[in-house]
Amino acid sequence: MQLIQRTFLASIGLSLVCLAGCASKPPAAVPEQAIVGQVPADPPKNPIISAEALKADSKTIAVTDIYFKKEGKNLIFIEETRHKTNNNVISTITPKSIEVDADKADASALTGGPNSSAFPVKFTNLADPKATAPGTGPIITPVDPGSNSNSASNVETQSQKKSGYESKMEYGELRYLANPIRGLLIKSGYKVVQAKPSTVAPNQGDEYFDIVKRIKAGDFPDANYVLYGVLVEISVVDNIDDIPGTKSSSQQVVLDVTVDFNVVDTQSTQIIASFVASGEGKEVRIDGKDNAFKPSMAKLMKLAAVDLAEDVRKNLAAQNFITNNPGSAGYERNLKRRLDDDTSTLKVYK
Amino acid sequence: MKMHTKTIHISSVAIFAALLVACSGPQVRYGDAKAVETVNANYGSTDLQMIAEAMTRSLLQSKAISGSKDAPIVTLADVKNKTSEYIDTRVITDKIRTQLTKSGQVRFAVSVSEMQNQTDELKRQNQSGLYKSNTIAKTGNMQGAQYRIEGSIASIVKNTKDVKDVYYVFNLNLINNESGLLEWSDEKEIRKTATR
Repeated sequence: MQLIQRTFLASIGLSLVCLAGCASKPPAAVPEQAIVGQVPADPPKNPIISAEALKADSKTIAVTDIYFKKEGKNLIFIEETRHKTNNNVISTITPKSIEVDADKADASALTGGPNSSAFPVKFTNLADPKATAPGTGPIITPVDPGSNSNSASNVETQSQKKSGYESKMEYGELRYLANPIRGLLIKSGYKVVQAKPSTVAPNQGDEYFDIVKRIKAGDFPDANYVLYGVLVEISVVDNIDDIPGTKSSSQQVVLDVTVDFNVVDTQSTQIIASFVASGEGKEVRIDGKDNAFKPSMAKLMKLAAVDLAEDVRKNLAAQNFITNNPGSAGYERNLKRRLDDDTSTLKVYK
Repeated sequence: MKMHTKTIHISSVAIFAALLVACSGPQVRYGDAKAVETVNANYGSTDLQMIAEAMTRSLLQSKAISGSKDAPIVTLADVKNKTSEYIDTRVITDKIRTQLTKSGQVRFAVSVSEMQNQTDELKRQNQSGLYKSNTIAKTGNMQGAQYRIEGSIASIVKNTKDVKDVYYVFNLNLINNESGLLEWSDEKEIRKTATR
């Protein structure tokens, strides 16, 4: 019994020694891992960055192409001939339509417009009930009974002509303006995902701009945000001015594009940022008028797209959607996060 | 007879020597460019130097220049000559510009009178098609001046039979091109009296 007690005490003592030994054992050495080519994250200095936290942290965004809505007008000329025989009416309609620019149609439609010689008819809007009211609308020309109608057989022929214009709206997306914006968002640390292209339905209305409908339809899979823009105006201005103090003049061809932007959270459909941005592509030619200089529109469009992206960056930064400028500490930090998160990024360990 | 001949020889040598001296022309000396010039009461080099020095000193002390973080960009506009004399006012502004540029506190953009050379050079580089595109000084990147310097010089002249009194006043202004505000203005007065 005493032996058992001693053995028990000895085993307890041994266990305690073992426990103490284990407790003081240093932890297993962890192999040093360092990612080559990446800078340690800077501590947040900008209060916006720390407050907004890591809004950009591995968030994804889809950027739509720039929507546009263009008004077009069709000039319509309808000639209708009706033959009435007792109770039977036979009608023959010959419609003709010419598609023209809306401004040209307006200019021609009104009396004395600059295009009135090209479109010498006074047009009325057929959709407007006032314009087609009795006395202002169709011209009904009763045909001479002697030549075109046979009174003996009780046949009456009427000919009427209608002319006017019908408005139509064209909806679509500009494919070439959004890529610099996608580029700046990638630089700012966002992951940019591809959006499904939008399709224009027949008789499309302004619901084409309903981004929430597209979000719910799953056009932006995996995107936390959607940046979408609607074209406000695009214009080209060509001016020639004298340069003071010289015998020279300068020809300036400027392509201006203005777009209305919104950033929508795909989960809450809340508008996170909203602004109007513009871009300018400019070509200046000294004494350009002397040699009939014609600028490269492709170059102007590229310049305008890049300038538009820069304005978008400024507006997004002003509304704290992007937290930094390219090259800043915050930019480096976001880039590092993106590299860390992205499993496809090549990492080299030493 | 012998005596007479000797006299003729001596006279000839003397005349020849006198002619040599006469043909040698005026003597040329270099003087001190900054020495005070008092040839007459007309506008002269000392006036130019006094005006330029006073204006530069005053302009560099102005709030617009000394209080600016970066050296502001300035251009030279006209200095109107309202005197009855011919004065090349461009020399005055050029001298002021040189001294201001040396101070490092101001940068100058090309003035209107220098624009022809500037546009010719830009046209040559951009429109001749002869230059590598990445080395071209591109059109549309000239820097606009924040300020312009302009002013005037006027005089009052009074003559009597023996005295000529000339009073010059040189006025210089620094104008903010964007706001149109007069940021600095100073004048230098000079009085000169010539007596017979």
